[in-house]
Amino acid sequence: MDSAITVDDLVKSYDGKKIAVDHLSFRVGYGEIYGLLGRNGAGKSTTIKILTTLINYDSGNAKVLDYDVSKNGSEIRKRIGVVQQEEAFDFTTVENNFKLYGMLWELKREERKSRMEELIDFFDLDEIRKKRMYDLSGGQKKRVQVAREFMHDMDIFFLDEPTVGLDPIMRRKILDFIREYTKKGLTVLFTTQNLEEADYLCDKIGIINNGKKVAEGTSSDLKTKYGALRTLKIGYDSTIKLDKDKVIDGINPLYIKEINITSDEVTVISSYVEKIVNKILQNIYNAGIKTEKILIDNPTLDDVFIKVMKK
Amino acid sequence: MRMPAFLRLTIRNIIVNIDIGTLIFMLGLPTLYLFVMGFMFQGIVTAGVPVGAAKTVSYTTFLAPGIIALESFTAGNIGGSMLWSDRRWGMFERIMVGPFRRIDYLLGIITVSIFFAFVGSLIMLGFALTIPISLHVTIESVLLSVFAIIVGTMLFSSLFLIISGLSKSMQAYNTITIVLFFMLDFASTSFYPITSKTPEWLRIMSGSNPLSFIANILRDSLILNVTSGTLFYALILFIVMVAFLLTSLRIYKNIRSGI
Repeated sequence: MDSAITVDDLVKSYDGKKIAVDHLSFRVGYGEIYGLLGRNGAGKSTTIKILTTLINYDSGNAKVLDYDVSKNGSEIRKRIGVVQQEEAFDFTTVENNFKLYGMLWELKREERKSRMEELIDFFDLDEIRKKRMYDLSGGQKKRVQVAREFMHDMDIFFLDEPTVGLDPIMRRKILDFIREYTKKGLTVLFTTQNLEEADYLCDKIGIINNGKKVAEGTSSDLKTKYGALRTLKIGYDSTIKLDKDKVIDGINPLYIKEINITSDEVTVISSYVEKIVNKILQNIYNAGIKTEKILIDNPTLDDVFIKVMKK
Repeated sequence: MRMPAFLRLTIRNIIVNIDIGTLIFMLGLPTLYLFVMGFMFQGIVTAGVPVGAAKTVSYTTFLAPGIIALESFTAGNIGGSMLWSDRRWGMFERIMVGPFRRIDYLLGIITVSIFFAFVGSLIMLGFALTIPISLHVTIESVLLSVFAIIVGTMLFSSLFLIISGLSKSMQAYNTITIVLFFMLDFASTSFYPITSKTPEWLRIMSGSNPLSFIANILRDSLILNVTSGTLFYALILFIVMVAFLLTSLRIYKNIRSGI
């Protein structure tokens, strides 16, 4: 058992026409958080539905915890937690939703109660615990939906855009909570359109478009590989006017997309900032100018995503 | 000892369904029918209601088994509608990716329907005894009544499972269930007997209504006598139930997610 999730050459079409998943392959290691990124309709939810045994696939292979998803569904379902993209709740109070979950997952009464209390406390649900689910806001419902999953033990947690509608503080709290669980061995497959949170949470990221995987790697790998233009800003204090040719002397012109020099700052836009920064600093120093500050903005996953999608 | 998955789902279905709306629908309305309609009509139908072989009974005595039969319809409606509600509110999909088999979910619905039907029937029977009505109780009549309630409830929960499985919108679902509620409830022998004066179309409608079969079996078993006609009703009821159940299973098998 090398991977908790193995997806090989997976194909799924709806009505034999619309291909939702197109020869998709990826692996998620034990205790790893894998983020599946993609635009609306990219095939993320379909992939999760296949892996959670809700729908069948047309061809390829998919294994969860070494069980074939098309043959051993019940074994898999015992050991996973799922937060669907859509709302999912029982038409009763928040508290009852927790209790029912505990009962459905065969928790003993005392354990049910203690877990519920812990989760209600952690997810700030105390004020709304007696409220009925349909009286809650979208964000509150989502909070219950995520929190409720921790009522039962699981080896793999599938989350399909779980933080939609949550405020930034709660979003961060939930992501940290999930990360804590991975330290205990939980494996997570996570889909999101919020690239910032994928960057924050995921050990590995797969970007899919039209059902196909178009990029994969750690966040920093992807940024290095697909990192779009970055900006280098060097502030200086001098009465001497800096000359553009002197600043980029000895640097391959192809490395520089744009350069702008003002009376106190040099701004360089380039895809190769790491390669040119030392040389530029050297050139400024050689011109007898003292640099005061250096700023390099990091590429974001947004830049990577846009670039990959354009490809 | 582990509780079977379908029983856990049954308990969940009971807890989720015990709300004021369901209680009014399941117990409030039939109670109103029994007491208000019962006594109002009794004042009009002073000569009693003909129940064959030149025999008549008071209207309340006639109505009581009909109201008990109505519990099968109501409970079947509540149970079958759970599929629609779970599909609409995402729980169907969540349960399907939980530690359950599809059959567990279905059994959970059928079991909760039967549970509600029995609870409702016993409460209505208790109310009916206060009217009072005199019961004709034998082992045969009790068994036949239990049979009618179980088979009738399974029939109606299958019917509502079919509607839940096929409905694509809330409006469609609500419209169909309301129309069915009025048609099946009032064009049945639960409330009125079929006599020679009943118009032909209404006689056909009422005579082919499954609720009439349940009402007739319960009436024969509880207050009249079990005859070969009663057993014939029971057989037809069973056959119709099997047909509905198989159809609902076929539709249910293909449901994958929500609405």
